Amino acid sequence: MDKQPIPPIVKITYPHRRFALPGRQKIVVNLALLLFLIPIVMMIVTPYMWMLTASLKERGRIGEPPYLYPTTFDFSNYQEALKGAPFARYYLNTTIVAVTVVLSRIIIGGMAAYAFTFLKFKGRDALFLLYLSTMMIPFYAIVIPIYLIIRDLHWFNTFQALIVPRMVDAFAILLLRQAFIAVPRDYIDAARVDGASHWSVLWRIVIPMSLASVLTVAIFSFLFIWNDFFWPLLAANDDKMRVVQTGLQAFNGRYNVEWTYLMAGTVIATIPPILIFLVAQKQFISGLARSGLRG
Amino acid sequence: MENRQIFYKKRWSDLPTGFLFLLPSLLLFAVFNFYPMIAAVRLSLFKWDNLSAPPAFSGFSNYIELFSNHRFWTSLRVTFIYTIVVTITSIGLGLIMAVALNHRWLFIKSFWRALCFLPTVTPTVAAAMVWILLFNPNFGYINTFFGYLHIPRQTWLSNVNLALPTIMTLGIWRRVGFTMIVYLAALQAIPQEYYESARVDGAGAWQTFFRITVPLVSPTTLMLVTLGMIDSFLVFDQVLVMTRGGPSDATLSIGVFLYTSAFSFFKMDLGATISVIMLLIIATITILQWRFIGFGTSEMETI
Repeated sequence: MDKQPIPPIVKITYPHRRFALPGRQKIVVNLALLLFLIPIVMMIVTPYMWMLTASLKERGRIGEPPYLYPTTFDFSNYQEALKGAPFARYYLNTTIVAVTVVLSRIIIGGMAAYAFTFLKFKGRDALFLLYLSTMMIPFYAIVIPIYLIIRDLHWFNTFQALIVPRMVDAFAILLLRQAFIAVPRDYIDAARVDGASHWSVLWRIVIPMSLASVLTVAIFSFLFIWNDFFWPLLAANDDKMRVVQTGLQAFNGRYNVEWTYLMAGTVIATIPPILIFLVAQKQFISGLARSGLRG
Repeated sequence: MENRQIFYKKRWSDLPTGFLFLLPSLLLFAVFNFYPMIAAVRLSLFKWDNLSAPPAFSGFSNYIELFSNHRFWTSLRVTFIYTIVVTITSIGLGLIMAVALNHRWLFIKSFWRALCFLPTVTPTVAAAMVWILLFNPNFGYINTFFGYLHIPRQTWLSNVNLALPTIMTLGIWRRVGFTMIVYLAALQAIPQEYYESARVDGAGAWQTFFRITVPLVSPTTLMLVTLGMIDSFLVFDQVLVMTRGGPSDATLSIGVFLYTSAFSFFKMDLGATISVIMLLIIATITILQWRFIGFGTSEMETI
């Protein structure tokens, strides 16, 4: 039966016919796609190459040669950049803020998501909607009162100022809740009947079963803090309390014409988020696709 | 079974636990979201010229003042132009790139995908620094490249007509990887049979793209339009770093207008008024998005 020759018309519509095609055709298609992709990829990559090349040029000779690849390798720019601004301090500050925000969004957000998923009480759904409504408030709309609160608390140039207004995020709660709904109720009921508290159910059962979403929240929050600029610009202008983004901007003000140093500093600031993305790429992309998305 | 029945009844009295679990988030939302929103609206109705004295109630005079301020209208115009161009371009480019990357024969797919997504995770300030150097009139690579094509040198960021387009290129560069990733996910959800049957019917590549791909990803497109509009409307970082709104307000986005009014000139009342306007615009887009996505999903269900 399966030894019978397949009529040609069937062969054309057969879903797996790609396996029957010669490799040469695949190569031709790939070349055509590359012709289209390479100009786009060049536009995407040019800024990175220009940044790297400039950071390796000799001081004061930023314009020459005008190539997109390095011809000199002057690593002293990096030393000078590290001397000219406390980049290590900026890194440390950003990391402290980012890690704290990530943890609090998972802990506080996890608790809220648990209450919204597994607990039942009056007004729960209304409260959830109220939480979600914060997603349509742009930070710019509430920044002035927050600035005044921080001023009245005398929190400028402290970690609290950078961390506390960012500690809770409705989007994180929404993501976690979506994951919690998928946890079978029987597991929770069984644990509760056995006498486990809600707190231990959350940390022993629900969170371990939603690790993918927890990780998504962690990655998004970390990158969000690393890319945040507006709030740190207002909350901390002491050089010891600057984060990477504001530190880089201040460095720009100080070393306005020292392009080689500036680009070395820019490379330093760009590496961590890109590394995190490359390491967690799969998680990041599936998280984007799963979450209903927010930029 | 008996146990469970009792258990479910008890569920309705989870209020104490629920209250404890929601307390931290509720407190934080109240202090850093709900109160500031009310406070911003309230402040917009007050005059506050001298920051050491308490603000004085002044009705809608801040709004009247703002609407008669030509810089406000400039900032709205700049922001709308930026939003429309960046949103449409990044969505169009992103879709084409996603279709190319989704080709089943393409080698090293994940490499291309990661490369295209890099700008989205690059810090804006860092990217803006590179842009300043890239578009430097004397030794920037863009002018060098244009020299190869015999296009005269431009001054880019200090040119009234070119400064905004230059900032737009950064916005598109950062945005296009995001739209591409989202479209890729949408494309992968389209059943292959549609394409198979289109091929059987003899549809060409263009026809397949416009008759199958574009309509089937339209819910995604609507979502990306609203998300992109919100994101672009709040453009701030790159403008502040690259031009601070200049030259002669050619790049004055509404975010930068708010920042300079409230934190450079310390006109908190004017800043609060601008922020209320921003809130109204963003809330309108968000509500439209919710309606659109509801509409979009019901469209999908009928297919």
